[in-house]
Amino acid sequence: MDPRRIHFSSDTSEEQAREFAKGRGTVDCCYPVKCISGHYGELLAREKKKLDVLFSPMIYSLPSFMHGHVTDSLACPRVMAAPENIKAGFIKEEDAFAARGIKYAAPFVALADRPIVPKQLFEGLRDVFPGLTLRETQMAVDKGYAALEEFNDELRRRSREVLNECAEHDRPCLLVLARPYHMDIGIGHEIEVDLQANGYPVLWGQYLPTDADLLEWIFRDDLDAGIISSPFDISDVWPSSYSANTNEILWGAKVAARLPWVAGVIRLSSYECGMDQPTYSPVQQIVERSGTLFFSFQDLDSTKPAGSVKIRVETISFYLEKYSADIIAKKKAASPPACPLAAVA
Amino acid sequence: MVSTSTEHFRAYKPRPFMRDEREHVTILFGGLHWRAERIIQASLDRLGYRTEILPTATREDLLAGRALADIGQCCPTSFTTGNLANFLRDRAKESSAEQVAENYVYFTAGSCGSCRFGQYHQSYELALRNSGLETFRMFLLAQSGLDQGAVEGGGLELNLPFTLGAVWAVLVSDIVQDLEYQTRPYEVVPGETDRVVEECVDYLCEVFRDAPVPGGKVGAAAWYLSTGYFVKALREVHRRFRAVRLDRLRVKPIVKITGEFYLQTVEGEPNYNIHRWLEAEGAEVYPAAITIWLDYLMRLACQELEDHIGLNRNARSNLMLLKSAQWLLRKNYQRMRRALDDVPHALPCQKELRELAAPWYHSRLTGGEGDMLVGKTLWAYKRNKAHMICELSPYACMPNTMSIGAMAGVLGRHPEILYAPLEIKGDAEVHALSRCQMVLTEARRRAQTEFEEVLEQTGLDLDTARERLEALPEAASAGWPVPQRGATGTAANMVLHLADTRYRRSAAAEVKPAPKPARLEPAVSVPVSFDYGGMCAPCIPCRPCVPEPRPSS
Repeated sequence: MDPRRIHFSSDTSEEQAREFAKGRGTVDCCYPVKCISGHYGELLAREKKKLDVLFSPMIYSLPSFMHGHVTDSLACPRVMAAPENIKAGFIKEEDAFAARGIKYAAPFVALADRPIVPKQLFEGLRDVFPGLTLRETQMAVDKGYAALEEFNDELRRRSREVLNECAEHDRPCLLVLARPYHMDIGIGHEIEVDLQANGYPVLWGQYLPTDADLLEWIFRDDLDAGIISSPFDISDVWPSSYSANTNEILWGAKVAARLPWVAGVIRLSSYECGMDQPTYSPVQQIVERSGTLFFSFQDLDSTKPAGSVKIRVETISFYLEKYSADIIAKKKAASPPACPLAAVA
Repeated sequence: MVSTSTEHFRAYKPRPFMRDEREHVTILFGGLHWRAERIIQASLDRLGYRTEILPTATREDLLAGRALADIGQCCPTSFTTGNLANFLRDRAKESSAEQVAENYVYFTAGSCGSCRFGQYHQSYELALRNSGLETFRMFLLAQSGLDQGAVEGGGLELNLPFTLGAVWAVLVSDIVQDLEYQTRPYEVVPGETDRVVEECVDYLCEVFRDAPVPGGKVGAAAWYLSTGYFVKALREVHRRFRAVRLDRLRVKPIVKITGEFYLQTVEGEPNYNIHRWLEAEGAEVYPAAITIWLDYLMRLACQELEDHIGLNRNARSNLMLLKSAQWLLRKNYQRMRRALDDVPHALPCQKELRELAAPWYHSRLTGGEGDMLVGKTLWAYKRNKAHMICELSPYACMPNTMSIGAMAGVLGRHPEILYAPLEIKGDAEVHALSRCQMVLTEARRRAQTEFEEVLEQTGLDLDTARERLEALPEAASAGWPVPQRGATGTAANMVLHLADTRYRRSAAAEVKPAPKPARLEPAVSVPVSFDYGGMCAPCIPCRPCVPEPRPSS
């Protein structure tokens, strides 16, 4: 298929929901799931380049760099079921897909279990794309994983560059601990961009460098003490390591607690997020016990709370300016010797 | 301002529960309905454990749970967290926090994975820490294994005698609960059902305490699967129930309870006492059996293995083993039902639930009850099992909100289904119950209309039906099975049965005993399109349960 025939909905926005999701909601839940109605509605409403197929996979599990070191890498139960839930809003009165001649394709797919992915996608798509073969699906899946790996590697390489820079000049940086959908400007509301505008480099937990030399240095004490079995082991702070994104947030908090140049952590969480809820205290404790600053923006919803974000950003900047040098010095003093980042300097 | 500590945060880790502590340490557990809790307790007594059942959670527990743990919990977490914390704080007042930590351990199921249920321990831990009880020990039983070995220290052995004893206690208590709810709405002498149930549970506790303790994995499995010990005990339960006189010609809507596991199971303030409230409002409650949950967990594991056939070398053989275990679970439940003349409801077939839900909710979506909520609603509707579905959905429950959302599509196709999803917050009783009452009003009307239609169809009137009923005293007993003859309501099915020609002949000739209703031909014969693999008890469909096409596929 020509890649130009694949179209994406636009970034999430309040306008999108107002225009395209009216009357489509079926239940009150977290905004990252609720907003999908707007995306569906926008795609269905296209006048030019009408769609033939609306593709919205049910993602059961996620590829994660922590897979194999944790119990599981599941997606949130709401996110995985969202395609069924949102679909209901478009068929409850009339079948809005059929009315527009659109096929709805929502294959169930366990992305953390790579060998099964071609089979699941093939089963979910064979009726939608007549003539599709398992071999073709397998090839597409391989390409998809390779592209994802390349993308992740590139972002991790850039994160390491930022950390090298911070280590070289003893500059503070900020780490955002959030779920991947908070990178959508309509869900995360670009809070981290406002902070970056104040001169602080921002890293995302999902794209922290995973280089062996760096991780071995960060977790050396815990590894030597036998508290953890690998740098990605989070059983010391979170025994129920089922959720891929939760695992990465907890791991990111551990890294933040040990990396001297991460002077502050920004936690983003959406309204009614049941996956984040049990982690509020552990994440805050992990970060704050190390002396790292911790700020959270909870209950994010459709509207950007611009006024309060501005005040919070000013507060965070003030604290960073005042305390970051002290934080870096104290965390460095508590760190093992021979940091591979500092060696760059 | 900034204090850097090299002592990093560590998660709660209970100190070991040693084997020699069994003598003086009490294991706390709870969260089910009282019958299951008491019989499980008896089963654990038999193995030499000291146990105590936590009281049913109250509104005070809800408030304590909210205050002690992180904000935004789902309501079952708040209830159970507050329940444990309040119990321990009360005990600590009587002695001390150290004494409580020394003398009690808490034991609960956990680890279902994707939903917050797998992370309850975090709330418990936080609540205990905030209550000054951080040294208290709690242990989790994974739902996925029958033989999980001993917890650290060997004080608690999660082996086959332990888990099979608990599972059989659940099977037995489900049977008793089902019979109880079919009995109480029609009892002639108020309070008689409750008295008999109390007696039966006491008796079953003795039965479990006196049960042999087979040794080893093979011995335990072989004994439980082959013994007639519990079937015999249930025959005694049946005998006691037979003494309860009923008037089954009272017209009552049947309300099927579904929803999140804790809320559908517990009986008390966590679900606004919905079971008793519905009965007080004139309904017959069709309760949610815990065994269905066990059956569902096995089905989920089977699906996982099915998906991996061809990818995992052992998938096929493991699947066969698991399917056999599932078959044995259902078979044993069926044996127990048979001991009570099949009066308790049969387990719904998981394959059928899955297929009914498939157009609306994918069977592999896990967390909570998954596709079962949609499947059970359609099953109850299509198989005339209930006039109304009351789904208990906890505030902020992640998977439950998803299946309720998917139900919007089902109701678009079937607007005639009486479906009442109640969001249970724990402190908004009037709102939830008034919502339920609106749907229940229509359910009552349907039950009455159905009854009148059946009278018209059979040519009987209520007085004649009563006369015929009086001529058959066994039919007024709680132990007598009313066959489902095509109607939903108990009264309507009773009239259909009384109108049966064979019954008339036997009544006129004063032939005793009355014909076995379970062997009568169905009033409406519709071919069933599923292959139940021999696992399903026969039931009589009024509408064909053919899976519907998936919309827009």
